[in-house]
Amino acid sequence: MADDAKIVSKVLVLDIDAACIDSIKAFCDDNDLVGLKVQPDNVMAVLRSNLDLGAILLSENYANNIQGGTVLARKIRAVRPELPIFLRRETTDNLDDIQERDQNLFSIAYTIGSISKLQTALAEFIFSRSYPNALVRGISEIAIPALESQFKSMRVEVEAPYLVRDRLIFGEIFTLIPLESSWCRGYMMLQTEEAALMHMVKAKRTFVHPEAAYDFRNLNSLLGEITNLIWGAIKNRYLSSVRDGAYLSQVPIVINNLHRYISFGSENPQLCFKYTISDPNDETILPLVLQQKFVFNLSWSPEDFSENVTSVDDLVSSGELEFF
Amino acid sequence: MAQILVVDDSSTVRNEVGDFLQKNGLTVALAVDGRDGLVKLKADPAIKLIVCDVNMPNMDGLTMAEKVRSELNNSTVNIVMLTTENSPVMKERGKAAGIKGWIVKPFKGDAVLPSFKKLVEA
Repeated sequence: MADDAKIVSKVLVLDIDAACIDSIKAFCDDNDLVGLKVQPDNVMAVLRSNLDLGAILLSENYANNIQGGTVLARKIRAVRPELPIFLRRETTDNLDDIQERDQNLFSIAYTIGSISKLQTALAEFIFSRSYPNALVRGISEIAIPALESQFKSMRVEVEAPYLVRDRLIFGEIFTLIPLESSWCRGYMMLQTEEAALMHMVKAKRTFVHPEAAYDFRNLNSLLGEITNLIWGAIKNRYLSSVRDGAYLSQVPIVINNLHRYISFGSENPQLCFKYTISDPNDETILPLVLQQKFVFNLSWSPEDFSENVTSVDDLVSSGELEFF
Repeated sequence: MAQILVVDDSSTVRNEVGDFLQKNGLTVALAVDGRDGLVKLKADPAIKLIVCDVNMPNMDGLTMAEKVRSELNNSTVNIVMLTTENSPVMKERGKAAGIKGWIVKPFKGDAVLPSFKKLVEA
């Protein structure tokens, strides 16, 4: 990962006007967006997959149909209601002439000439929160050695952190653990695919006995321990005690298994990290992808963020025995 | 009969620590939480060292350490915590319960094996 703590977001670009696509690409490059293109007949399949999207940039004449954008927006809203849709129009950068019932499909309208309007929308819908650089950098500094400790002789790589508005669950196994502090309250999730994790166990790259790989509870335990290692280190480094007497609100977490969807009751984008665990020297070992997501849905005061001070007396390396 | 009791709710950690210790010539018993740990300790007077997690369901590791001293009246068994926790407050509570040491996960067997052997032989 780069030294700075730049956070990006992936957006789906549904536009077939070549000249406009060039302008949109330049805008994405300048505004920390990763633009993803998709063929018109593949849009819905892609939306049902795990792309970790922050928003959709849609052309009103998509698929060479004068109503194509609006028709597609209705379908998108049905399957991915959490994703803001930014509508590119040909002649006007407002929604006034669109039927009232369709206006709320779109978060904003713009033209190529007024594409800078999107910056306001990005600040409102995607980059609505600032994350302390030390926290963003520290998360992967903590996670990588934790993963290396549980996957033997494997290389762990992490992509640039990104923000997503979608609420899709990646893979079949995921853990959820609270993060409680005076400056933040929420959850950390780890998500991965069962088959890939089972493959690692069978390949003797974990501490789970290979013959135990067929019991899914052992795979759960492995992801649970990885979660525990990362959570503990984050807590030790960044999470100070919740103030005595503070009222600790809670909201229901809703999971819809059919749609692989999890809601924390908040519209805020989630801070995500994607790790790939692989063996560059052995192609028979299939890579494992692990997604780490942070949802600070209950409290967020980054201005109070601080790292916990470690006294010299406490400077014992992890894994070493500190005698009392 | 075992020399070391490993108490952790994670089967991954029980495997990792238990396998390592057995490969290095130590006999090991396993427990899944603090409550189970008390039962296993009571049943096996040969146990000389407990390696115990802190955050566990049913009974946490520090409560278990306190009960080893107070309810089982066992003042001789050595207790070492193996945990992600690194809080001075928790360590003080552990010291008060007479634990011998503290290890912050992940487990690094080679770094602690000589100490574990001394505690078992003590």
